[in-house]
Order: sequence, then structure tokens, then C-alpha cells
Amino acid sequence: MMHHLTDETLQDYASGVLNSSMETLIACHLTVCPVCRRNAILAEAIGGLSFNDNPAAEMKATASDILAMDKTVPEAHPSSLQHVSQPAISQPGVPRPLARLLPTTLDDLPWKSFGPGLKQYNLGSQPRKEGAFKLLSLDPGSKMSKHKHKHRELTYIISGSYSDDIGHFKAGDIADLSAEHHHSPHVDSDVPCISLIATDAPVQFDSLFGKIVQPFVGI
Amino acid sequence: MDAPLLQKAEGPSEATQALNQRMRDNLVAIGKNRDEQAFSDFYNHFAGRVKSFLIGKGLTEAVADELSQEIMLIVWRRAESYNPDKAAASTWLFTIARNRRIDYLRSNARIEVDLDDEMLEVDEDDHMTHEAQVDLTQQSVRLEQALLKLPQEQRQVMHLSFFRGKSHGAIAQWLDLPIGTVKSRIRLAMQSIRTEIMTAESE
Ligand SMILES: [Zn+2]
Repeated sequence: MMHHLTDETLQDYASGVLNSSMETLIACHLTVCPVCRRNAILAEAIGGLSFNDNPAAEMKATASDILAMDKTVPEAHPSSLQHVSQPAISQPGVPRPLARLLPTTLDDLPWKSFGPGLKQYNLGSQPRKEGAFKLLSLDPGSKMSKHKHKHRELTYIISGSYSDDIGHFKAGDIADLSAEHHHSPHVDSDVPCISLIATDAPVQFDSLFGKIVQPFVGI
Repeated sequence: MDAPLLQKAEGPSEATQALNQRMRDNLVAIGKNRDEQAFSDFYNHFAGRVKSFLIGKGLTEAVADELSQEIMLIVWRRAESYNPDKAAASTWLFTIARNRRIDYLRSNARIEVDLDDEMLEVDEDDHMTHEAQVDLTQQSVRLEQALLKLPQEQRQVMHLSFFRGKSHGAIAQWLDLPIGTVKSRIRLAMQSIRTEIMTAESE
């Protein structure tokens, strides 16, 4: 069974209120999951209908003004083209929204070790208070200390698998965790479990070990 | 604090369906023939609504006005890319407005699925079956019906999400409700909408 995005996360994605790290991670799962993709399209359709809900505000311009603008205003370069500038390196298990952010293959990334069998690669340049955005690679058998989240944590599994008290998560799955969850995932695949993680606030660890590790892991 | 989706006394009428159809035809006519009349009709219906959508999401009146004009210019220039078999006109416009707002607010664009991705997993429902494709305007009427049937408290969270630009966490704060309550309202709402649409399709 596949682990999907929750309705409330899909709705936040459809209405455009998430940061770009969360969007990237969600787009990875949507690439491999037609079920969630359909639900996202449904949420957009609801968004479209919501236009009819509010009274129209008065516009300063008329339709003919816009047609006149067409002749004078140059075609904007949509910023959507900017982040495509880095060609995506095609590699197994990495959907394009993530591949575009990687300078090289997963194997060649300058991973930083933060414990035996644990390494990470930081993708986020955003301030830490807005949350983390990183790749984690955990060797078979490793276990994260029990921690909970102040807000929301999304995990997209790229390869390998892990289990926690919620279930078994494998490549393509998403773990959509909210503040209530405490979890301590352990890797149960015979290859490293590589995952993409985005949070919208720092994680709080329960144990002393967790507290010490936290500044290094940064999640 | 009540601002439900589609607060209409009567249900979605033939008039709504006719409007959906007309807006869709307008987009097609703009895309195919650069039809200025069609653009004018589309603009007069939607521009002010896009503007109030942007104001509802927290932009100032002046910025909302300017962005709405830009969004309408995008409509005029990109109408060719509108596929009437894939989305209602309002859905297409919604995604443009949402993405333009994101562009305005931050330096990188919205991130979406790349439909050319080798990893793209397609299933049969993706290329909608012919019956489903036949009438998208019909489908949006069903969707409207499903929304109207929602209990007030569920419509309220849907409305806040789309119109006030709030994440479900912020909605919980705004309404002074536990976050779990907001989540379950969203889930219940989406569940009944899906059920409603599927039932209507199999009839
Ligand atoms: Zn899914």
C-alpha cells in the first residue's frame, strides 16, 4: 500500500500557500502518484469555483486597456523558466522537481556525516526558522531518535525503506506528519534509505541524544 | 466569520452551467482566433473576481489591481495552451492567478510536476475516459452541487483555504479551533466531494 498526501496538505498545495521546499517535495510524490495528482486537480477545480463566491472588485482597467498592453508590454520571462536553467540530471528514483536542484548524482553529492551511518545534504538556503529542506541518507539498520514536530514535516522516500509506529515507507511514498506525531523511524531495507525532508519549523527532540544531535541534523 | 463557498440560496442552475460553457468557449475563441469580443466577455466576468481573490489573500488593492491586469494579459497571450477537455475555464484561470501571486511574493516560481518526467506514473484515469471528457462543464456543475451540500462548517474551512490564503494551521488559529478539527473538516469535505462526483458519474 502506498502512503499518500493528506487532503489538507493537497489543499494547501493547490491554494498556493506552501514554501517552495514543500512544493518540490509534493511535486516529487505527485510525479509518481496518479491518485494524489487527481486529488490535486480536484482541489484546483474547487479553487476555480471559489472565484464565483466573492463579488467582483472594481478594475481600474478595461478589456481594451489589456489589449493595448499586449502591444506595449513585453512578454514577461516567467520565473518558472529560471530554475530550469540547471538541467536535471536523470537518475533512478529522483523525480525532476528534485533533480533540478541537485548539482550531481546522489552518489557524488558532498554528503555530510552526522553520526555513524547517517549523512545529510542540505538543499535549503532559507532561514532555519522557516524549516529545513534536505536529503537524508541512513544506512540499513540505523534508527533516528524519537522526535516530534512543532508544525509539519513531509518526507519523500527516494530509495530504501523505513518503518516507524505509523507504518512501512518505501520509495515513492510520502510521510505527511503533523505536530501530533512522535516517531522514531528505523531503516529496514538492505540498502541505505535516502529521503527528502521538508519541515516548516524546527523539530523538537524528546531525548537528550536527540537534543544534542539536533543542531547537526538541523531538522 | 462566515464566508462559505458558493453561498447561494438556489442550487447551481442551468444559468451557471451556461456561464461555465460560455467562459470555456471564450477561452477557446481567444486561443484560436484572437477573438477580442470573447476576451472582453471573459474579462468582464472574471477580472474583478480575480482582483477580490488577490485582496482576500492579503494583497493591497493597488497590487491586486495591477496583478489582475497582468493575469488577464497572460490569459490573452496564453489562451492557446488552454485545453477545454482537461480543465474548466475557472480552473485554468485559478492556476494562473495562484502562480502569478506566488511569482510576485517570492523569487522562485511555483514548483510542479514535469509532465515529461521519465518517472511520471500514469494510470488509465489520467487520460480521462471519453464519457468523463464529454462534459467538463457538467463535471464542474456536479462539483458545485457537491460543495453546496457540504455542512456550513466544512464550507467555511474550504473557503478560508482558497480565499484567505490560509494554510490549515493558520485556519485553525483564525477560527480558534484545534488543528485536528480543521483537518477532519477538510478531509470530510473532500471525502464527500469525491463520493458525490463518483456517484454522479456512475449514474
Ligand atoms: Zn499519493
